[in-house]
Amino acid sequence: MRLTEPDQESGKSVQIDTVPEAGPSSLAGSANGYNGTASKHNGYATSYTNGTSKTTPGDATRGGRPEKHATSITQVSLPGSTLYDDSYVDREEFVRLVIQSLRDVGYIESAATLEAESGYTMESPEVAEFRRCILDADWVRADAALMRLGVADDERLWEAKFLISQQKYLELLEANKITAALHVLRNELAPMNVDSDSLHALSSLMMCSNPEDLRQRAGWDGASGHSRRRLLGDLQRYIPSSVMIPQRRFATLLDQARAYQQSLCLYHNAPMNSRTFSLYTDHLCDKDAFPRVTTAILEVHTDEVWNLEWSHSGNYLASASKDKTAIIWRVEHDKDPSIRDISPKFILRDHPYPVGCVAWSHDDSILLTAAEHHIKLWNTRTGLCVRSLEVHTDVVTALAWLPDGSGFISGGLDRKIIHWDADGKQRDSWGQSPIRVTDLTVTPDFTRLVAVGMYDAPANVPGPAAAASENGNQSGVGGSSENRVIVYDLVTKQPQSFIPVDGELTSVEVSDDSRYVLINRTPEGGAPCEIHLWDLELDRVARRYTGHKQSRHVIRSCFGGVVGSFVASGSEDATVYIWHRDTGILLEALTGHGAGSVNSVAWNPRNEGMFASCSDDKTIRIWEAPPVDLATASLDAAEHRREAHEADGKGKGKSRERWDGPLAAGTSYGLGSSSSSTLI
Amino acid sequence: MGMSYRRYLNGIRIYGCSNCKTHLATIDSMISRAFHGQHGRAYLFDEVVNVIEGEPNDRVMTTGNHTVRDIYCCKCGRTLGWKYDRAYEQSQKYKEGKFILERNLLADVQ
Repeated sequence: MRLTEPDQESGKSVQIDTVPEAGPSSLAGSANGYNGTASKHNGYATSYTNGTSKTTPGDATRGGRPEKHATSITQVSLPGSTLYDDSYVDREEFVRLVIQSLRDVGYIESAATLEAESGYTMESPEVAEFRRCILDADWVRADAALMRLGVADDERLWEAKFLISQQKYLELLEANKITAALHVLRNELAPMNVDSDSLHALSSLMMCSNPEDLRQRAGWDGASGHSRRRLLGDLQRYIPSSVMIPQRRFATLLDQARAYQQSLCLYHNAPMNSRTFSLYTDHLCDKDAFPRVTTAILEVHTDEVWNLEWSHSGNYLASASKDKTAIIWRVEHDKDPSIRDISPKFILRDHPYPVGCVAWSHDDSILLTAAEHHIKLWNTRTGLCVRSLEVHTDVVTALAWLPDGSGFISGGLDRKIIHWDADGKQRDSWGQSPIRVTDLTVTPDFTRLVAVGMYDAPANVPGPAAAASENGNQSGVGGSSENRVIVYDLVTKQPQSFIPVDGELTSVEVSDDSRYVLINRTPEGGAPCEIHLWDLELDRVARRYTGHKQSRHVIRSCFGGVVGSFVASGSEDATVYIWHRDTGILLEALTGHGAGSVNSVAWNPRNEGMFASCSDDKTIRIWEAPPVDLATASLDAAEHRREAHEADGKGKGKSRERWDGPLAAGTSYGLGSSSSSTLI
Repeated sequence: MGMSYRRYLNGIRIYGCSNCKTHLATIDSMISRAFHGQHGRAYLFDEVVNVIEGEPNDRVMTTGNHTVRDIYCCKCGRTLGWKYDRAYEQSQKYKEGKFILERNLLADVQ
């Protein structure tokens, strides 16, 4: 598999610079098509349409090849400077990126050939030298090479030199060459007039006890890590990109194309890999693969189901009900719906009141439940209650585990926000919040806590809600209570900002990137019913979602899908609503639940094609894509089933019968289908 | 019916359920202290929150015939008083839609 001597000689004649990593490329070259390359040398001279000659390896005449190879590559001269006649793409830029890509993957010979044929070089020998110096830690020559790379002005040059010296300093420290490091600090870094803070930070690294400590504190992954490559990337800013092409530039452009295609893909729910993002075609997800039919109905609760949360493994679903129980359901999310087993693993009783929220610990070993002012910790392996916490003096409305799993935070209508450790020992109380907390969440980046809640209603405004419409439970002083979102700094526990939002806020969910929160609210004074996507960075509403109904109840929403590109919410009209997050377009309005509110929805964290909803109808529904055989079944039949289902009123009993039957799986898929209510 | 949180009142003086401290009414919506219930003194309020209303039934009271509903605390279920649906005597019409809370079942809450 090695290249023979003559090959290397020929290589020299075409290669502009011999890259040290040539090893793998020559292997690849000889393994796949090196002979082919040699055999089409004539083609090179006469035609620039690459890859047309598919001559068999046998055609190559081994003996004469090297000489021919070396001499046969002549530069192709083309008219104009663009890639195509009507193109705006500069040919030189394009070819240089191709050369770079070829080099990156190890097709060194091909890259050299292309350089020879096109007359363009990926980069000058000076750049190659500079790159080599950085990667080999040849700092003296790196400095010299830098001088020849056209850095715009002296100021910039100093900044670039500082970065190099900094790397040098860190590497010396890492190698425990303290004296040499000190020398660099004093004679190279200090004279460069950088701000004293960063210099101070660098000098304090002298105190690190060992290399591991150093890497940790410097946020630097060491000489043998990616730090030199990262340094090259940082230095890129100082060198004109036409001189030194940014690393993996072609891949960056392709990534941008992918991101653009993804932004246009409303039903985007496919994992990112080469199969779903082929370069040959524009990406578009199949709408039929979207979770929009009920594949299971979970009926064990004896009263309204108010809340849901998936375990982090995606294998268990916890539900909270007005029936004073929480249930841990085992859901084999990766199995085919027709053979999947869904059953209650544990029914967690002993709650003195209806259960309002549930929260899984990071390792799924503990489930927290809250019922009125009680918090309970349950061992999820035994189903036993490990602790009961009664520190809150009013309803606990929110339970949120910290991102590092070290503990959790509870919030309640008593205005308390309490920090507990994982065993349920009270660590800290945040003092009285100005709001009665109705929900809270901790950002995954561990920096902020976002709480939503309500202020007390002014008492002297008699409201129309007093009419005994529904057992009077809600007969409230219907005045406009001022509601707020408070963003707390997780470290100082102090409010960072207050966000004014009208209406009663009932849920808050944070996005994976910690930047956005989704807030459900009951509208007030004729305001439209909207879910807000709030941008914590820009402090503004980024998107509003409408179409669902929320007037008086606690309704919750969630992000969903493979990249969190969906927003799903419950609604008081027994329907699940799903929007495209970035555009706000309503994708689905899924019917199927019986009368009452759909109180909460939860997307499976491990299976992007599955979510669950819970309702006043005492059931939980699992939603998935229609099975392939049914998706192709006649629409009429599906529609007919749906009508029949709706005709039996609540529809619940019927659906269960179907589900219990041996053919259940086959016949009832259409139940939750919303073929008529897809709104785009 | 869906999940909902109890209402919280704001005022100089807030009356709550003596058993579970659930907010019920404020002094601002009090109309009269001159009523009597089963446990002694009772107050008439314009507005009461967090109560569940029972079935209507007719009762003969010292001021005549009324249609009333018992009201219960929505958290602990204790009977707190009643609500007037209808007063048959013209002079008592002002009570319609108003609430009686028994003083002994109330506590000052925050």
